[in-house]
Amino acid sequence: MKKILDINYRRTLISIFTLCCLLSINSCKVTFIPDYDETIANQIESTTKQIDLFYLTMLETTSAENNGRSYNLFTEQYIEIEVELNSLLNKNKIRPLNENSTKICENALKLWQKYKKAHKEKNTIGDDDIVLNSKYMSSMLYSMQIAENVKPE
Amino acid sequence: MDFDINEVLSDMLKAVKLSVEDSWDETKVVANQFFERRKERLELIAELRITGKMSQEDFESRMEDEKLVGEAELHAIAVISKAMAQKAINAAIEVLSKAVKAAIIAI
Repeated sequence: MKKILDINYRRTLISIFTLCCLLSINSCKVTFIPDYDETIANQIESTTKQIDLFYLTMLETTSAENNGRSYNLFTEQYIEIEVELNSLLNKNKIRPLNENSTKICENALKLWQKYKKAHKEKNTIGDDDIVLNSKYMSSMLYSMQIAENVKPE
Repeated sequence: MDFDINEVLSDMLKAVKLSVEDSWDETKVVANQFFERRKERLELIAELRITGKMSQEDFESRMEDEKLVGEAELHAIAVISKAMAQKAINAAIEVLSKAVKAAIIAI
């Protein structure tokens, strides 16, 4: 009788130990990147549209003649877009395991500030530069969007 | 005990393969899109430089932009790779976990 009880006791102990192991396996999930953030994804999309609208409007409705593309005519929009890019950088920076998206945001901001500075210094901008700036910023924001969209939900 | 380690390992490998295959297709699509965008930009830059509409200084400045965008694209691909690895490893862990659980229930 004592032997049977002893066997049952040992089986119970083994079961508890195995259950603990199983629980630790169940909770073991590797994480290399943060989860998808819908708010950030939406902000990337709206910033992409804002930049697209900015350059298309500049190209279609203004001309370099008669100071039609003076920097001061676009200052407000440059600042608004820079604020959005800064906000995206800060939101990405505080997320753990998010170095890649942070770096993309840093590059986007760097490029935007470069284009803003060039426009300010020349106080005008040609059609070809508008097209190229638009293409570069679009590619930068596209990388940002991809990097967000592939994150697990 | 109903726990065959060879079968479990084979199932884990299948789970990893399935995850990697799905993500690999996604990586190829994105890499192609990056390539097409780059091609478009470089075609325009080359045309402007050859026709003299772009100075050497501006050309070099655009190559700097190209570096920044290229770097961003590589970071995006790095995120895809990390997501792929995460999905594959977790799929394998889940297979093992389910197999162990089933073996315990069978005891």
